[in-house]
Amino acid sequence: MFRNNYDNDSVTFSPQGRIFQIEYAGEAVKQGSVVVGIASKTHVGLFAVKRNAEELSSYQKKLFEIDEHTAIAIAGLTSDARVLSNFMKQQCLGHRLTYGRPMPIHTLVGQIGEKAQINTQVYGKRPYGVGLLVAGVDENGPHLFEFQPSGMTEEMVAFAIGARSQMARTYLERNIESFADCSKEELVKHGLRALKESLVQDKELTVENTSVGLVGLKEGPNGRPSVEPFKLYDGFETKEWIESVSESQGGEGEGEGEGEGETAAAGDGDGMEVDS
Amino acid sequence: MDHRPQAWGRPRDDVYGAYDHSYMQENGPKQNTQQPIVTGTSVIGIKFKDGVVIAADNLASYGSLARFTDVKRLRPFADSSILGFSGDISDMQYLDRHLTELSLSEAYESPDKPRLNAANLHRYLSKLLYNRRSKFDPLWNHLLVGGLDDNGEPFLAAADLLGSTYSAPSLATGFGAMLAQPIMRRYVPDEESAKKLTREEAVDIVKEAMKVLFYRDARSLDTYSLAVVTKDGVELKEDEKLENQSWAFADRIKGYGTQTV
Amino acid sequence: MTSIGTGYDLLNSIFSPDGRNFQVEYAVKAVENGGTSIGIRCKDGIVLAVEKIVASKLQKPNANKRIASVDSHVGAVYSGMIPDGRHFVDRARDEAQSWRQNFKTPIPTADLASRMGGYLQAYTMYGSVRPFGITAIVGGVDTSEETPVDGEVGSGPAVGAGGKVPGKHGGPFLYMIEPSGLYWGYYGAATGKGRQAAKAELEKLDLPAGNITIHEAVKEAARIIYIAHKDNKDKEFELEMTWISTVDGPTKGRHVEVPKELREEAERLARAEDESDDEEEEEKKDDDNKMED
Repeated sequence: MFRNNYDNDSVTFSPQGRIFQIEYAGEAVKQGSVVVGIASKTHVGLFAVKRNAEELSSYQKKLFEIDEHTAIAIAGLTSDARVLSNFMKQQCLGHRLTYGRPMPIHTLVGQIGEKAQINTQVYGKRPYGVGLLVAGVDENGPHLFEFQPSGMTEEMVAFAIGARSQMARTYLERNIESFADCSKEELVKHGLRALKESLVQDKELTVENTSVGLVGLKEGPNGRPSVEPFKLYDGFETKEWIESVSESQGGEGEGEGEGEGETAAAGDGDGMEVDS
Repeated sequence: MDHRPQAWGRPRDDVYGAYDHSYMQENGPKQNTQQPIVTGTSVIGIKFKDGVVIAADNLASYGSLARFTDVKRLRPFADSSILGFSGDISDMQYLDRHLTELSLSEAYESPDKPRLNAANLHRYLSKLLYNRRSKFDPLWNHLLVGGLDDNGEPFLAAADLLGSTYSAPSLATGFGAMLAQPIMRRYVPDEESAKKLTREEAVDIVKEAMKVLFYRDARSLDTYSLAVVTKDGVELKEDEKLENQSWAFADRIKGYGTQTV
Repeated sequence: MTSIGTGYDLLNSIFSPDGRNFQVEYAVKAVENGGTSIGIRCKDGIVLAVEKIVASKLQKPNANKRIASVDSHVGAVYSGMIPDGRHFVDRARDEAQSWRQNFKTPIPTADLASRMGGYLQAYTMYGSVRPFGITAIVGGVDTSEETPVDGEVGSGPAVGAGGKVPGKHGGPFLYMIEPSGLYWGYYGAATGKGRQAAKAELEKLDLPAGNITIHEAVKEAARIIYIAHKDNKDKEFELEMTWISTVDGPTKGRHVEVPKELREEAERLARAEDESDDEEEEEKKDDDNKMED
């Protein structure tokens, strides 16, 4: 039944020093549909492809607001994500109550990292089967973190997790230099293009299956940056963006000039199914 | 002489009478702190255009006894805020240690720059004080917190042992609320006038108010600490002396000093 | 003597017939795959350095710190499973904090090492947990000054009980704690993938003689990490360095990051030496953009 003797639980090292249960939990993340996050100097964008179980069912949400200044994108077991998301919401609320300020993103991510690590070291627990992209802004500006089931958290400039996310990551790596100075609109276009890279052959971004989330900093009173709260764009709110990155229109429309050409090369489909 | 071990170290019944056990009731209501023991008197603070000035004298009284004369009652936090404590000194020391803990854990998260500003700190302390009073075990202090707020504007607010909070361009605790506050309020009746006040003016007002407090508050001292907080940090002087004292007014007051009639 | 297939290696906390705990040995394997960490103890302070392997180009440069402060005067770095390392640091901070609460003074580095050794040991004792997949290097400078206890606000009585035993107090200390809970004090400690090369270099420094300063140690640490990285040459890395000087030194007894200029200077020297070493080797094409911040 098991692949080897060392993968029954998360408290057993293999002779190579690996813990298979953690690695398997990492596989659960790859079963989820793809999510992309990109940070510029002023904003962080989260982008997701949603799935529906069947034609008549609704689409599973992929982006969740945690607090005014932070949100997550999830890939993997949605119910595990809900546990983490509830925890994060409580921590943020508690922090606001006691200190009167939004929770710093690094602190928040550290807390879920700690929580997840415990699950990898104690018998009878299992690692979380979900990966997160945590987007948010604080005094130090916009941040994007990746969270893995192992408890590993890392700050990224841009990242993608979930099914076929390697294609999206390749797109992001090619364009990484341009993200810092992106406007909100440009950020969205990069995000959607990255998503498209990860789609299977005949799948398209539609207003039904696409989610966009943005949080950032804006000029506040007396010139200090203030939080532009997280806003989730779903359904028809995403229509223009989706059209602006559709193949027929290519990248030429708004003239932001980067990432042209490659968009056409979307999905050389190896047949991996993206729906659940 | 009673040689039973139970009697060792206890006052002898034959000399002092039987011990009145009602003083050590085991089944009465549980009691927590009922009053402060070693105390610090007023803390005063005033906003000016670039920051806040705070002062408190260096005395810790034990009742009417001037018990410790070198107690520093102003405490900087993360070189960006200042706290002034009046009330119980041991509770102040407890809070001081607690804040050391807080500043350490804050430094782990962002070693480069302090992120808990005075407004955050004030919110936190008021929650702490309210929490303790709600357990009927208050920390017997009245605090002033000075520094800058989220927008980099001068911030000055008070929190007391009940968890009450309030804010004004000038604040004073203890006796200072009666004696120093009216003086400071003459100069800064509102936020606008605080925005016009210079640092030097603010320091002078505070020094003047400290002098009045020393004249009229019998639990005060002429050695005091004075701190100025601006965006550049906290400048704290802990061994200031009141200058140019004049006790001439005392002549006309009956019951003062050596007068007998 | 092999561990595999006997069943004795499937559960933590059990001995094999020849007296070994294989799960702990496997945990050490996890450490040996991690980026190299080193610590140097000199007369006037401690230097910690780590080779951070950059797994993805998408990582934010210089953002993901690996060396953590445990108290204001203590730093810790680790090789192996990073989430385990974070857990280690959390626990160490709790220990330092509870020490302060109990004794109203910062925790001596030796006591912290002892507490953490005990903590890691406990994770080798039960079937319900696994050992830590890290080896940690903990460095600290215990103050040599007469310091007030935390929260002291006046000078207190001038006579009576209390006061310090005369003699030498404090100074720099360095410990390395293994997954088994075993720890030793070191002058130069190294762990992770490149530890062999790093140890060889550390030994050449003759650290027990106490004739290098922390400024020199910063340069040596950078050089050693670059040498240790040769075992891992196909991957890019970032160098992270922190230091703690004695109270009269540049950090005033605090654990802080080595200033950028100093680190870059140390890296420049390390790279120069690196290049002159493999002159005969073919030129690495991406050597230049490798460490551009």
